[in-house]
Amino acid sequence: MTDTPERTIPDPQLNRRSFLKGCTAVAAALGISEAMIPKLVEAATSAQRPPVIWLHFQECTGCTESLLRASHPDIARLILDVISLDYHETIMVPSGHQAEKSLHDTLDKYAGKFLLVVEGAIPTKDKGIYCKIAGRTAMDILAEVAPKAAAIIAMGSCAAYGGIQAASPNPTGAVGVQDLVSGTPVVNIPGCPPNPVSFMGTVLHYLTFKRLPVLDNLGRPLFAYGRRIHDHCERRAHFDEGRFAEEFGDYGHRNGYCLYKVGCKGPGTFSNCPSARFNDVDVWPVSVGHGCVGCTEPDFWDTMTPFYERLPNVNIPGIAGITNIDKAGKTILGVAAAAVGIHAAIGIGKSMVTGCGCKDKK
Amino acid sequence: MIYEKHYVWSILLRLYHWAMAGSIVALSVTGFYIFNPWTLTNLEGTGLFPMMTMRNIHMLAAYLFTGAIVARLFLFIFGNKQERVWDVLPITPRNIKNLIDTLGAYMYLTDHHDEDRLGHNVLAGMTYVTTIFVGFIQIIAGFYLWLPESSFWQKLGNIIFGTQQFGRYIHHLLMWYFLLFALIHIYLVIWNDLKNPDGLVSSIFTGNKFRHREVK
Repeated sequence: MTDTPERTIPDPQLNRRSFLKGCTAVAAALGISEAMIPKLVEAATSAQRPPVIWLHFQECTGCTESLLRASHPDIARLILDVISLDYHETIMVPSGHQAEKSLHDTLDKYAGKFLLVVEGAIPTKDKGIYCKIAGRTAMDILAEVAPKAAAIIAMGSCAAYGGIQAASPNPTGAVGVQDLVSGTPVVNIPGCPPNPVSFMGTVLHYLTFKRLPVLDNLGRPLFAYGRRIHDHCERRAHFDEGRFAEEFGDYGHRNGYCLYKVGCKGPGTFSNCPSARFNDVDVWPVSVGHGCVGCTEPDFWDTMTPFYERLPNVNIPGIAGITNIDKAGKTILGVAAAAVGIHAAIGIGKSMVTGCGCKDKK
Repeated sequence: MIYEKHYVWSILLRLYHWAMAGSIVALSVTGFYIFNPWTLTNLEGTGLFPMMTMRNIHMLAAYLFTGAIVARLFLFIFGNKQERVWDVLPITPRNIKNLIDTLGAYMYLTDHHDEDRLGHNVLAGMTYVTTIFVGFIQIIAGFYLWLPESSFWQKLGNIIFGTQQFGRYIHHLLMWYFLLFALIHIYLVIWNDLKNPDGLVSSIFTGNKFRHREVK
């Protein structure tokens, strides 16, 4: 039932075959044995599986879109059919008061049991007035829902670390979920957007093993964010052998050489993109000729930009205008060399006038 | 005029010095290559691994540099009189006076030379302590960039630098400190050797310095 040339509109129903395919894809992403797949299937079909509340704050809905794109229908339908999605502003049927009612029904009925997914950053400045839903601020909604959740999945770089809203100068005081919530476990699934496989892997891991996957120091599951992009990149051999694209469209770029010199941030970015890839068509940014922009890392809008340079333009506090440290370094070294020359010349001049200033003069 | 020979620098300090000097040269050259690889190996299948080789040299030199910094930290506490940290910081009246005298001498205002001091002058000592500290930060940044999968380095690096990319930025920035230091260090060592015939330059090879006495 996956897409064929004859059928481009996906079947809205999840059949057994694509269900098992989706579970297998998730098991592969999680790196668990195929012997565990029946347990995943069992957990995913269990009648006791927890409902999910999906909150949208300061976001572009790109994370939801990335899940729903029909080019990976197995995962998308798995998400929609397997998890009991009780509140999701983009795709739920109710609207207005009915939507709010379904949110509060779930909160009351499943307190302490449901999974909360948050998409988007939460503005905190001026008491959070920069993001309001149904007349309430995002901060207010999160403060009500989060303590009642069994676990929280921060979906996307905005919910995890603030994303573009939190980029300097961060006019709305946007922060990620982990900065506002304490007491409820938070899993970050950063990315702009994140790979649906990483999200589904986390959910199914929770359903199957009744606990969250192992996290790194930034709250990201290790199965998806434990390895550096650079170390699993198909262009890595070109890096080691010193073959680089010098600019887009040149000989090296056309021959698939390493994108390091056009600013690829793979060496500083952690994600499963090179192995999980996207959209069931086995592509990811580097495979189609664009360097990684580091979207799974905290503050990536501030530190990974400019995207086509190796190092960020950071203004050194107190020294305005220094953005290129190599230029600054050369200038400082040149000034120091000139100072050394002047100092030596003064010494020579002085000794010519007053005689040798040294100790063993006779 | 007679010259008394004094053993000033221990073998460990001299090893530290040359390990540091050699590794800074190697680290800067390979670091520049890693930052902006200037070769282009367009022939495929030649078995040339310029980036890999540069990285290997960088890591090897990094361990030498780390060993040097650790040795110097050890000598700051357990070294001989000249090597200990409290002999070179302006924390005693004698050292503060030396600092002022040194600044005066460097500005060609006085010709005073501390006859009872065999080790570093206090200005140099302060700079060396700063350099060791900068080297320590540089090591943490380096291991954070090299071994980010290790939970220890990831945690430490995230606390100090926040992100990988900022760690990379600091790592690159601090390299310029070492180049600046090397320039001024070499100049002032030669300057001092010309001014005071105590054998400053050769002391880092032999460990000996000379103190001169007037003979009646």
